[in-house]
Amino acid sequence: MSARALEAVLFREAKIRATNLTFIFWDVLYPLGYLLVFGLGMDASLGFTSELTGLDYNAFFLAGVLGMASFGIASNTSWSFFLDRDNGIFYEMLTYPLSRSQYLVGKVLFNVGIALVQALLTTVLSGVLLGVHVLPHRVPLLIGATIVGTSGWFFFYAIFALRIRRNDTFNAVTSVFYFLFLFASSMFYPLEPLPRLFRVVASINPITWHVDVLRYATIGVGTPTTIAIEGAAFVVFTLVAFWLAVQALERE
Amino acid sequence: MAIEVDRLVKVYRRRANEEVRAVDDLSFAVRRGSIFGMLGPNGAGKTTTLRILTTLARPTSGHASVLGHDVVANSLDVRKHIGVVIQEQAAELLLTVRDNLLTFARFHGQAGSAVHRRADEVMERFGIAGLSETKVQDLSGGGRRRVQVAKMFMVDVPVIFLDEFSSGMDPILKRAVIEMLRDQAAGGRTIVLTTQILTEAEELCDDILIINKGRAIARGDLHHLKTLVDRLYEVTLSFDHAPENIETDLAGFHPEEVTVSHNTVRLKLRDEETRVLELVSLLARRGRLLRIEINGASLEDIFVELTQKSGGQL
Repeated sequence: MSARALEAVLFREAKIRATNLTFIFWDVLYPLGYLLVFGLGMDASLGFTSELTGLDYNAFFLAGVLGMASFGIASNTSWSFFLDRDNGIFYEMLTYPLSRSQYLVGKVLFNVGIALVQALLTTVLSGVLLGVHVLPHRVPLLIGATIVGTSGWFFFYAIFALRIRRNDTFNAVTSVFYFLFLFASSMFYPLEPLPRLFRVVASINPITWHVDVLRYATIGVGTPTTIAIEGAAFVVFTLVAFWLAVQALERE
Repeated sequence: MAIEVDRLVKVYRRRANEEVRAVDDLSFAVRRGSIFGMLGPNGAGKTTTLRILTTLARPTSGHASVLGHDVVANSLDVRKHIGVVIQEQAAELLLTVRDNLLTFARFHGQAGSAVHRRADEVMERFGIAGLSETKVQDLSGGGRRRVQVAKMFMVDVPVIFLDEFSSGMDPILKRAVIEMLRDQAAGGRTIVLTTQILTEAEELCDDILIINKGRAIARGDLHHLKTLVDRLYEVTLSFDHAPENIETDLAGFHPEEVTVSHNTVRLKLRDEETRVLELVSLLARRGRLLRIEINGASLEDIFVELTQKSGGQL
């Protein structure tokens, strides 16, 4: 894959995003804000009882908030296809000297960078401000999970953003996705006490795989075998989503 | 050859399996360094052909290549050699005029101080130097079109495609761009354009293809195309006072079109040259003649006639 082509897409994304620093500031800090407001509130008002003895809600929710952030960045980035179409630049860019896959990878690179800053900042400050005990030796896994997670969700959303022509339809689709993926997963609560049907649905939800890996990478919850299977499943999900997104782009 | 198109077909499927043959067995070739114009009424297949040549659409059948690179099998190689101004306005609205040019250049592998200098020169030529730090979203439609076309002059790709490039341009800029395009072609670049503004094609193109319903209906330079519309003359006579009852004089000549405006009579007739001169001589005796102009068929006449012959609607 030509580094020059990727660098050009990255340059363009950075230029566009740099025109709105408030947005970048919000992207970087909102998971921490979520953790401080929602996490702290849940922990203080409802308490946290589960089989995960010894964990408070802030520690449990840290991985959830990181997964949610990757999911959110991916969703926002896929919206840019609609903006590019409205500006006409989308079709012009498809005549530039880069392959469709370079276009997609380049587009996600800048946002992977934002997601990494966001994840590391949130993780460090959750330790400093909320006393979450993060495992430093698993930071490389956290970085890997953030890169693959953000990319996977972006490619997944890109399939729909490229196939759907109306932005109000895409809006409806993302709303449904938010509801289904986030709540039918291990993002907000442990799955063990939940009804069996719910657990089955959550176990085939890629966000559960993503969040479970993040949880293992941050606070060490989970067994290595299960995490390895979930991680591999998520990588397959990412590759399939990438292939389908490239196909959708080829059909433009 | 810069471009070769061989029996190209593009079929779109609408609802209820209705097929539309946007391009239908089209074949042509374009010489390197020429300014090639594709003309045709709305829906003739010009933009679809351009979309295939620029790798934005895949043909249903047939082949097309740009500088020897197949548009399907080697689409990336094609894109490395082309610059495209699409029909719709296309610009990075959130970026400044300068950043639009620099970003475009970067996609073509160009960065550094030389590119900045070139951006300054291009902005100067397009009259947008004073707007270099203005975001494109704050420009008028015409300003945005300037930025879009200006980008093509930031890189030295050998083939440029322009789809209705002059829409939204004022006449002065249009003239300047036409001059720039002529310079580019003289320097060896191949320019392929579609237009419905026939005077533009007449002025700019040295090779013209007229298409209708996806098929080629005429091909050649302007001189050759004029021979296809035989014996059609446009005559303009200006008198000091418009003569009365001119219809009586004209009756025997069966002109296809007559317009009388103030002291000027314009007519279009299809006849032998001697008969045309006979008519002019007859009318000249009807009043004091200030000016005579006799022209052969214009590109517009050729276009209208050939398109109607091929069953098209304008």
